[in-house]
Amino acid sequence: MRSAPKSPGPHPGRGRAVRGLGHFGALAAPGLTLYVLFVLVPVSMTCYLSLTNQNPFNPPTRYVGTANYTRLAHDPDFLHSLRNTAVITAVVTVAANLGGLLVALLLDRAGRLYRALRGVFFVPVILSAVVVSVIWQALLTDDGLINSMLRTLGVDHPPGWLSDPDLALWSLAWIITWQVLGFCVVVYLAALQGVPQELHEAAALDGADALQRFRHVTWPMIAPALTINTVMLLITGFKVYDQVQVITNGGPGEGTTSTVSFDIVHTAFTDDHIGYASAMATVMLVLVALASVAALRLLQRREVTL
Amino acid sequence: MNHPALRRLGPALTATWLRPLVAVFVSAVFFLPLYLLLVNVFKPGDEIVPHPAALPLPPTLANITAVTSRPDRLFWYGLINSIEVTALATTAATVLSAMLGYYLARCAGRWATPLLVLLLCGLMVPPAVILTPITKVLNAVGLMTTVPGLVLVDIGYYVPFGVLVFMGFVRTVPVELEEAARLDGAGLLRTFWQVVFPLLRPATASVVVFLGVWIWNDFLNPLIILGPGTGTTVTVGVYRSIGEHQSDFGAVFAFMFLAVLPVLILYLAFQRQFVKGLTGGAGR
Repeated sequence: MRSAPKSPGPHPGRGRAVRGLGHFGALAAPGLTLYVLFVLVPVSMTCYLSLTNQNPFNPPTRYVGTANYTRLAHDPDFLHSLRNTAVITAVVTVAANLGGLLVALLLDRAGRLYRALRGVFFVPVILSAVVVSVIWQALLTDDGLINSMLRTLGVDHPPGWLSDPDLALWSLAWIITWQVLGFCVVVYLAALQGVPQELHEAAALDGADALQRFRHVTWPMIAPALTINTVMLLITGFKVYDQVQVITNGGPGEGTTSTVSFDIVHTAFTDDHIGYASAMATVMLVLVALASVAALRLLQRREVTL
Repeated sequence: MNHPALRRLGPALTATWLRPLVAVFVSAVFFLPLYLLLVNVFKPGDEIVPHPAALPLPPTLANITAVTSRPDRLFWYGLINSIEVTALATTAATVLSAMLGYYLARCAGRWATPLLVLLLCGLMVPPAVILTPITKVLNAVGLMTTVPGLVLVDIGYYVPFGVLVFMGFVRTVPVELEEAARLDGAGLLRTFWQVVFPLLRPATASVVVFLGVWIWNDFLNPLIILGPGTGTTVTVGVYRSIGEHQSDFGAVFAFMFLAVLPVLILYLAFQRQFVKGLTGGAGR
């Protein structure tokens, strides 16, 4: 591909427009086309399909207005998935932020040992959620390693981490937290290393103890890291699918751990209710957008700059 | 927070011996699940359940050869597909987003902001939300259940992330270099490839690592788009292999070990670039 002529011809204005179009075609068009074709077009199709009763095994497809949304609002299974997604997102966001910060404070020292330990915490981040899920499933099943350890310690009836409907969701949140913790650790460490030493010294001179220094010096200075981690964790939490599919398949029982993503995929690809699944997807899209914008607004307000 | 025990913990943590001790202990507990994966890959299948935490002495390769010599060649088909999809999609998405990011930073003028906002919206879209229409688009162009179909979907989905990284980076590159090249008669594309792209290397490394890991580990897209049978990636292969023999931990662990091995080797070799790349210079 050649770019448009460089010298403005007899019509300078037109030449610039042609050249601009050439630049767009050469540099921007390929990436933009694929993005439009496989993200924007599907998003608008989802919104449109949510207003239909499409089901490949039950033609014809008709326009049904907001009927799918009315049904969603009273669908206990969907409301349950919504609640599960909210619980997982909230637990993971709080736990991974808190745990990540504590580990980062622990490892915030120079030296080969601490560098190696940071490497350890980062390993789960690069593994696929499927692999992490299978490992933890082997650990947490009723006869898994953790329960056999508990039995040797004298616990007669160890909990059914994945088979008890009250526990399974928490176990999933725990597994996700374990996997994303290393990301938060690295982000917090980078932020901690950006806090000027003089600020600590000045606070210490003013008689601030370690906790006060953390509260009034470190904490405000690492606010951008909190923003990055929280937005990342919110997005991760909202789209949780792999762990549910691999570990619990939505169970134990009927939908005790199903998430919105899981519900969408199963309604669309197992039950073939494309229209109804699209309505779920549209609701989710709106919620993700609202949550991300709200989180950004809220968190950026408390960031300080030097 | 003002509990006396906590207050005493403060100075104690600064003691030179306690911090390394606590750090090593916490890391060891955290690492336990991965330790179990590693030791049980090299242990005979019937010893895993009675002695899960024991070291594999003597180590055996039986589990690994069982996976690599499966009659249905699930692992090998998956490996080939994973390598193809990851290499093609990562390369293409990186190049296309570098060009698009450069365009937005330098050429787009007043269109830059609206285009960027349009792209950033895509960063938040969960894959499950657009999967059904994607299968319709792929069916329409005849690429459903094919590797090229999955590659195109991956490129489209990951371009916004690349653009975000590249656009920020291009703005830190002095524009004089490009102007000099243009004055010497180089066209826009040539200027981009020979002058700008080499300067973007840190951003490129970051995007390649991020997309490579993401695409290699992806589960939902290959599961649905490639479909069952030989059209699987190693990550989906792990899922398919647990369905068959739930109790044979040795085989499942060996499959997982082989599936993560390429990423793990790259991680150990380029640890610094990985951590930097995956956290995107966050927190600065």
